[in-house]
Amino acid sequence: MAVAVPAPASVDYEKFSPDAKIVEAKYGLPIDVQFCKRCVISNQRPNSAVEYKHTPESRKQTIHFDAEGICDACRVAEQKNGKIDWTAREAQLRELCDRHRSKDGSYDCIVPGSGGKDSFYAAHLLKYKYGMNPLTVTWAPHIYTDWGWKNFQAWIHAGFDNFLHTPNGRVHRLLTRLAVDKLFHPFQPFMFGQKSLAPKMALLHKIPLVFYGENEAEYGNPIADTETAKRDWSYFTAEDKSQVYLGGTSIEELLSEYGLTNADLEPYMPADPEQIEKQRVEVHYLGYYLKWHPQSCYYYAVEHGGFQASPERTPGTYSKYNSIDDRIDDFHYHTTYIKFGIGRATYDAAQEIRSGDITREEGVALVRRFDGEFPERFADEIFRYLSIPPSEFPQASRLFEEPIMTREYYELLADNFRSPHLWMRRNGQWELRHTVWQSETSQAVVHAS
Amino acid sequence: MNKTVSIVDYGIGNLFSVSRAVEQCGGQPVLVTTPEEVLNAERLILPGVGAFADGMDGLRTRGLIDALKAYGQSNRPLLGICLGMQMLLEINEEFGIHNGLGLIPGRVCAIPSTDITGQKHKIPHIGWTALQKAPSQAQDWDDPLLCNIPENTKVYFVHSFTAFPTHDNHRLADAWYGGRQISAIIRKGRLYGCQFHPEKSGPWGLKILENFINLN
Amino acid sequence: MPRNIRIIPRLDIKSPNLVKGIHLEGLRVMGEPRTFARRYYEEGADELLYIDIVASLYGRNNLRELVRRTAHDVFIPITVGGGIRSVDDVTEILRSGADKVAINTAAVHRPALIREVARRFGSQCMVLSVEAKWIAPGKWEVYTDNGREKTGRDVKEWVMQAVELGAGEVLLTSVDREGTRKGFDLPLVKEIATLVGVPVIASGGMGNLTHLREVVEEGCADAIAVADALHYNRLTLAEMRTALETPPLEVALR
Repeated sequence: MAVAVPAPASVDYEKFSPDAKIVEAKYGLPIDVQFCKRCVISNQRPNSAVEYKHTPESRKQTIHFDAEGICDACRVAEQKNGKIDWTAREAQLRELCDRHRSKDGSYDCIVPGSGGKDSFYAAHLLKYKYGMNPLTVTWAPHIYTDWGWKNFQAWIHAGFDNFLHTPNGRVHRLLTRLAVDKLFHPFQPFMFGQKSLAPKMALLHKIPLVFYGENEAEYGNPIADTETAKRDWSYFTAEDKSQVYLGGTSIEELLSEYGLTNADLEPYMPADPEQIEKQRVEVHYLGYYLKWHPQSCYYYAVEHGGFQASPERTPGTYSKYNSIDDRIDDFHYHTTYIKFGIGRATYDAAQEIRSGDITREEGVALVRRFDGEFPERFADEIFRYLSIPPSEFPQASRLFEEPIMTREYYELLADNFRSPHLWMRRNGQWELRHTVWQSETSQAVVHAS
Repeated sequence: MNKTVSIVDYGIGNLFSVSRAVEQCGGQPVLVTTPEEVLNAERLILPGVGAFADGMDGLRTRGLIDALKAYGQSNRPLLGICLGMQMLLEINEEFGIHNGLGLIPGRVCAIPSTDITGQKHKIPHIGWTALQKAPSQAQDWDDPLLCNIPENTKVYFVHSFTAFPTHDNHRLADAWYGGRQISAIIRKGRLYGCQFHPEKSGPWGLKILENFINLN
Repeated sequence: MPRNIRIIPRLDIKSPNLVKGIHLEGLRVMGEPRTFARRYYEEGADELLYIDIVASLYGRNNLRELVRRTAHDVFIPITVGGGIRSVDDVTEILRSGADKVAINTAAVHRPALIREVARRFGSQCMVLSVEAKWIAPGKWEVYTDNGREKTGRDVKEWVMQAVELGAGEVLLTSVDREGTRKGFDLPLVKEIATLVGVPVIASGGMGNLTHLREVVEEGCADAIAVADALHYNRLTLAEMRTALETPPLEVALR
């Protein structure tokens, strides 16, 4: 059998010289880098897309900047703080709840989540403020952090039933490795379940109402997305499974070459659209009805459930309470930094600027200090996780030129995913060609909200 | 018209706070740095925090020691605060033996590290402690500096050393720390010293400063 | 011996605002710091504590102007912390009207700074700020940058070393309890307060008056720093004072 996943090749540094002529932007990213004048996000930020279609050839849609140089996410924040009539929206929520609320205490809605601050807030509010009877469902992280597990438990103990779906560790590792080698996207296998589990559980338990927290548009998907409370069906259904790719690899290849079975892949597959239609499953964003403020969710979760921030700063950023339950998360944001020049500090700071928690000046300083920091703390464990040794993967192992993931392998792979329009090589070091702290526009503009 | 209060600036101490407090009490603060200015002052504050030797060095390098001694003999009002008070005495035992200005007989010694029962207690003495009559007090509480200041008024102390005037009648008010009496205010004629910081002791501290400014 | 326990409102400052978090995290904007400072002064605070919590991010303390304006009409000691890295920084902030400085990160990186500051301005001016995080029974680790960065140092050893070098006071913040209202980390406070001969200010976790009495009676704290309870108007300084001055309950009743 031929090698399906070659080891990364060496990189031609010529294209990355500081004065190289920029002719290429990978992934269909905009070749001119721009930073939002209000937050710190760059125009390189991809929109959330349908992961089932993600292959190495995929072109990204990226966040829209308007004529004033303001990103859509900031415009959404503006609407949240102005145009939207939240009283009316809450009335709509009450009405929706009234329509679905069970009389006998049986489940009447599904709240997917990890027990992080946002899902804690969503489930708790629905139960204790709106009198609903939520069933919480959780798609397990790759590897729980200790505090992530404790928070998950604290959530359940705040008064909820929960189904935890933990995918087969071997399958999950293999898909994760494929997603890393082909897409440099270690988080992808998690995202499949994150998006499809709740609708599938809705079908299984015949609970036709699902509540997610925020809308992706709060972080930069097209603004039009926020005008509806319902989640786009394409996120969790696929009419034709032959079009589905997991870890950038077709289902057919996964079955025939990697020795996986349909049963192995079932947890990753989207829900059946026909059934969704038939059972009239509705998927709503709570963030459409309630003004979502992540920091307030943190306070709420601490107060009502003993939620605990991570005991240490997450590498690559300054924060301790955002998305802290998966040990692979550090690498997720490290890969976005490599591919798009956007690390976790940028995401966190952009969100907090929009929420009015920090100023742009502070955000810029935070990005400068923390963005792109290599996530040392769990690195050895993650590299072991990403390794496909013959002893554990007798068949799949042979398809990898180098089944064992090492720091060197990871770094060379990273270099293969760097785009010359973002990165340059100077004095033997990688540097971003454009940074928010050097961009002129960033210095001239003060935070306004 | 506001009374001028000359504050000795010898490179040590928080002059901002003292100046601001004097201003608040209706005085006109002026920072003075030369012997001439000291000698010509109408009323003088000698502030100070930090180590005794550094304080005396600060005075010495500016040539202020003789001027201060002369001023001290002139029967004009002088207020030493904290280290400034300690420097009014003759001898200091902080990190070796040092000579002070010798305007008031006595010495300055470390506060013992245990209280009178032998228990370890905290040094420096930091905090708000009540002003009380000195036990063998010859002078009355109704000293002009204490005008309208009730006994047991709490003021802010921060110090590791404490003054022992040779003559008990130079002790105007004391404070208790670790079961011992500590000189809180000393007085000889129109020379006053406060171990605490009147400029940091809230409204009562300001009242004491105001009394000083209004001394005739 | 009766002890005069100091109650010190703690104001964490970020840019122009007074902020408050939980576990030093998720900082909420509370308002204009001077208004709070002035109010606490009038209500009888013993001292004030200003901490610039983004100072190390910018590499400088940004509180000079705020301190200057506060010291204009607040006549109690003001301690300023955050981003103080040199004797020159201390000189600057004292000139603005501060009385003491609280130093954490810079002292951890260069302990000799403690000696330099104590030499130049006196030990009473040099407050060692320690962010302590529990790691095992009887063991705490020193953190910096608002509880974000580990240092690998043991709190007890570090405090002893710092006092040896000339720290005249210790501001002891429990990262675990900060902002939780669950009470002080009593074993931590007791361990440190009885370990060193200088006063220890307990910070982090006060939710009610029982916590206050506990930390003084059992924890042996010399002073307490209060933020949350005051900023959110849950307790007043007068109530705290009364609680401290009420004689201890009989043992049998507890």
